[in-house]
Amino acid sequence: MDQTPHFIGRRDLLLAGTAAFASRQASAQSAPWALQPTSKVDKLNFVVWTYGDIYTKISAKFKTDWGIPVDSTISSFNDHPAKLMTMYGGGETIDVSQSSPFSFPNFISQGLVEPLDDLPGAKEYLADLTESAKQVAVYEGKLMGLPYFSTVWVWNYFTDLMEKAKFEPFKTYDELMEQLRKAKQDKIAEYPIFWVAGVGLEQLPGTWYQMTWNRGGVFFDKQGNHQLGAGSIARETLKWWVQTFKEGLADPESLKAQFTSSAKAFGAGKNIYRGPNHHYGLNIANDPAQSPNAGKIKVLGSPGDGKTIGDTHVYFLCTATRDKAWAWKLLQYLGGKTKDGQYTQAINLARDAMLGSGYTSVMKSTAITEGWKPWGDPVKILEIWDKATYVAEVVPSIYKPWHFPWSDRINIEVSKALTGQITADVCCDNVIAAIKEVQKG
Amino acid sequence: MPPLMKPFRFGRELPPGVLSFVMNIPTLITLSLVLAYPIFYAAYLSFHKVSLAELRRGVFPFVGLANYERIFNDPLFLLSLKNTLLFTGLSVTVEILLAIAIALLIDQTHIWTSRVTKFLILVPYAVPPIANGLIWSFMYSFEYGFLNRILFTTGISHSAVNWSGDPSTALIAVAIPYIWRTLPFAILLLHAALQGISHELYEAASVDGAGAVQRFWHITLPLLRPIIVVILVLRTSFAFAVFDEVLAITQGGPGDATWVASWYSYKKGFAPPFDIGVGAASAYVLAMIVGLLAIAYVRLIYRRIN
Repeated sequence: MDQTPHFIGRRDLLLAGTAAFASRQASAQSAPWALQPTSKVDKLNFVVWTYGDIYTKISAKFKTDWGIPVDSTISSFNDHPAKLMTMYGGGETIDVSQSSPFSFPNFISQGLVEPLDDLPGAKEYLADLTESAKQVAVYEGKLMGLPYFSTVWVWNYFTDLMEKAKFEPFKTYDELMEQLRKAKQDKIAEYPIFWVAGVGLEQLPGTWYQMTWNRGGVFFDKQGNHQLGAGSIARETLKWWVQTFKEGLADPESLKAQFTSSAKAFGAGKNIYRGPNHHYGLNIANDPAQSPNAGKIKVLGSPGDGKTIGDTHVYFLCTATRDKAWAWKLLQYLGGKTKDGQYTQAINLARDAMLGSGYTSVMKSTAITEGWKPWGDPVKILEIWDKATYVAEVVPSIYKPWHFPWSDRINIEVSKALTGQITADVCCDNVIAAIKEVQKG
Repeated sequence: MPPLMKPFRFGRELPPGVLSFVMNIPTLITLSLVLAYPIFYAAYLSFHKVSLAELRRGVFPFVGLANYERIFNDPLFLLSLKNTLLFTGLSVTVEILLAIAIALLIDQTHIWTSRVTKFLILVPYAVPPIANGLIWSFMYSFEYGFLNRILFTTGISHSAVNWSGDPSTALIAVAIPYIWRTLPFAILLLHAALQGISHELYEAASVDGAGAVQRFWHITLPLLRPIIVVILVLRTSFAFAVFDEVLAITQGGPGDATWVASWYSYKKGFAPPFDIGVGAASAYVLAMIVGLLAIAYVRLIYRRIN
């Protein structure tokens, strides 16, 4: 046996490199996301909710790559289900749309969503999904969507007022309450805390879900029994929350605050803390173009063991598509890979808007660890990320078609409790009663 | 010289009754298609199970009165009806009183400013309802709103009022923009009616020693009654269907303080789980109430006139 060491020459290296490049190119071109469907369409469309100009960019890229124009129908987040429904019910063609995890099971049960398992490349996507994304995108064992973005609920604080009040970030809810009272008393802030408590699927209910989970509670157990009775963690959490409004510690504008509006309001610098909500609010609160206090808003984990919630929003292929193969192609541009094999949209969303991804490979990439830096501390946020659980673990009713109307009732009853119209106990009793009502359908 | 030709005629001339009927047929067909068809279709939907899947398939299972049963067993629907009645009562009353007062003022032609006012009064009517709602939601803003700024600068209050966020003021906060937007319509109608009242009546009353209040009470108001009925019917039906201001300012909140009937119908029909049949049933109940109120207005006020 020849034991002589074999050295690689420059020529060998060049040949090997060229071969590797050629093989990579060939494989990239034969990869599912690079294959051109055999059918022909003159255009495609998607129905989404607004977020900056991300859809203009990705539509332009799609047209450049495939020569097919993409029409977009864009509405606000809260109006999206109604818009989608009227288009679908009216018999219009919809190739791709998107959904919050809270309405996705309902869309599936209404027959809007096409399963993706058999489509080329679906298995590769499935293998790369994060656990949290899987819990939304995979429904009853079938891949039903591709991730738009992922997020976790974090707290924020405003450094200037924290320094003025000589506070350290709170570690318990009791400490938080003490700080809020002291800040109010010392006139550091008229309303020391700003909650994200506007009516919506994830705003007001999300805040309640997050704090309940962080304190060790859930809304339903594994058998589907509600956990809102007397003495339950959810009920006690609500009582604590109501108290912040009762004592005038919470900003009354909280009850109208949606995701971005709450971040903008907090960026004004009038409150010390912002209650738990999507981590990417920092993208607004720390953006010099949108916030007078850019750079002074910091992220904070939750008290105790730091447990928090997270979720993933998805894009899906609509059953009302004009052409399944091309719609799948468009869906991949929004929630998967572009022709070049890159997660273009997910990477851009991370770098431009601080959004997390439902793909493990993107979450581990520099798009996150470097891309988030202009607005926050990626290391700190990723630490919180590791302690996040998909919100359906806390509120398993999300998988039920009746969750949406029940969520409406939560919004109504909790708003009433927070504005002092009813007590937290009455609120929880009403929310319990509403479960049976909505289940009747 | 050729003989004079007889004028062309389609057979014999139609009797006036038949002719007027024939002349009305195009309008009848148009209105049937544009108005009657949706109304009857909504009635049809209210007796069927209609959600997304059924809508797409075009097959709607008959459910009888189940949709109506559901809404009448829903406390939220009953509350929405109550809020709608409160809203309508408040807005229509205020609107008519203000409209009469303003119409009387701008009818004073010897005051030159009334010409400017006549023009300015139209401005709110030109604002789209949803834009009107958004404008007022900024005005109501707790921290940055114009209304609270006025309170502070005039020293009327040192603490901000949460106009649309406080359950005790939220319905009024929705009613004010609504009245502001729709008031010009009532003013215009009343102003036109005022111009049709003969001055001789006022002069005769003055000769008999009637004062301004008596002239208004015994001449102006009775002669305005027919137009007030029209305004009452129209404004009541529109107030019952208030939606844009609710959507833009409160979205039904805080809690259920501003859940009105049209908001309920919208939420039932156009939000998951998309119970369009239930939404149609609630809208129909609303239409019935408006219809009954319109009949009551007409009978009550015309009876008094007779």
